[in-house]
Amino acid sequence: MKFYINDQTYTLTSTSDTSVTTALTLHFNKPQQSTFAVALNGDFIGKADYGHTMVKNGDRLDILQPIQGG
Amino acid sequence: MTLSIYGQTLNSRLLIGSALYPSPQIMKQAILASGSQVVTLSLKRQKPNEHSGQQIWQYLQDVVKQVNGYLLPNTAGCKTAKEAVTLAKMSREIFQTNWIKLEVIGDDYNLQPDAIELLKATQQLISAGFKVLPYCTDDLVLCQRLYDLGCEVIMPWASPIGTGKGLMNPYNLETIRLRLPNATLILDAGIGKPSDACLAMEMGFDGVLLNSAIALANNPIGMASAFNSAIRAGEQAYVAGIMPERQTAHPSTPTLDTPFWHQAK
Repeated sequence: MKFYINDQTYTLTSTSDTSVTTALTLHFNKPQQSTFAVALNGDFIGKADYGHTMVKNGDRLDILQPIQGG
Repeated sequence: MTLSIYGQTLNSRLLIGSALYPSPQIMKQAILASGSQVVTLSLKRQKPNEHSGQQIWQYLQDVVKQVNGYLLPNTAGCKTAKEAVTLAKMSREIFQTNWIKLEVIGDDYNLQPDAIELLKATQQLISAGFKVLPYCTDDLVLCQRLYDLGCEVIMPWASPIGTGKGLMNPYNLETIRLRLPNATLILDAGIGKPSDACLAMEMGFDGVLLNSAIALANNPIGMASAFNSAIRAGEQAYVAGIMPERQTAHPSTPTLDTPFWHQAK
């Protein structure tokens, strides 16, 4: 299956859906303690829901972090 | 004198942005010089293993802690209510605040807020427990609608974001102040000079939110201090009561017993 994180393509050999938790491990190459929040297909996913929210083929994840703003 | 934002008492009537400064150090010094206790910030897409965002976040947390202040996340870049609501929820999780500076942009040229999407997003966010600070145009009826939805704070623009054009429509702003006497009105965007901020305060606005005018000054720290003074001066003037404008000249020196040599023969 194939899905996208911040417009970058990720491909898994498995055809079954994967959790947000697993998807995030592909995005972050090594364990890190960044502050971030996640949206799946434009909808917010709270941290408590990463484990049981499934990412399907073609889904889009957005991972956002703090930045300066006006 | 203090400003109240959704029940939080602040010692400054200036809300300051954290973007566009020459360096994080200058940003910090400028925020301190401004006296502000509310600092705006935003969210952006994260690149894998990029740590600069984490550093900035740490820096902003330290500054806000030092001034005993509050973070005010924005929804910059959003063009629909759905985008803004999602971004607000992501911000709430990260920043642990119900406050949201709601921006829903309708036009790329002047970054004018989309009134229809703004109202839609406001309604959804208030239902979700947010304290919304909507960035809007100087349209009286739009401001009234936002207030009716439950926004205690309304933030009409002075002019488009980043232009520094100052108060484009003083009449509109004065009318909003007159018609919404109980709303907390913050003038947001387009301010270029301390005198612009002072003028807003003289009109009776409750506060001013700005970023570029300080961050893009030759000396941001000095300019932050100038805005701090101007806003206090404007507020003092409003409280003191400004004399009514008059159409004709009135001598300020008493005319009684004017020296005789000025009198015509």
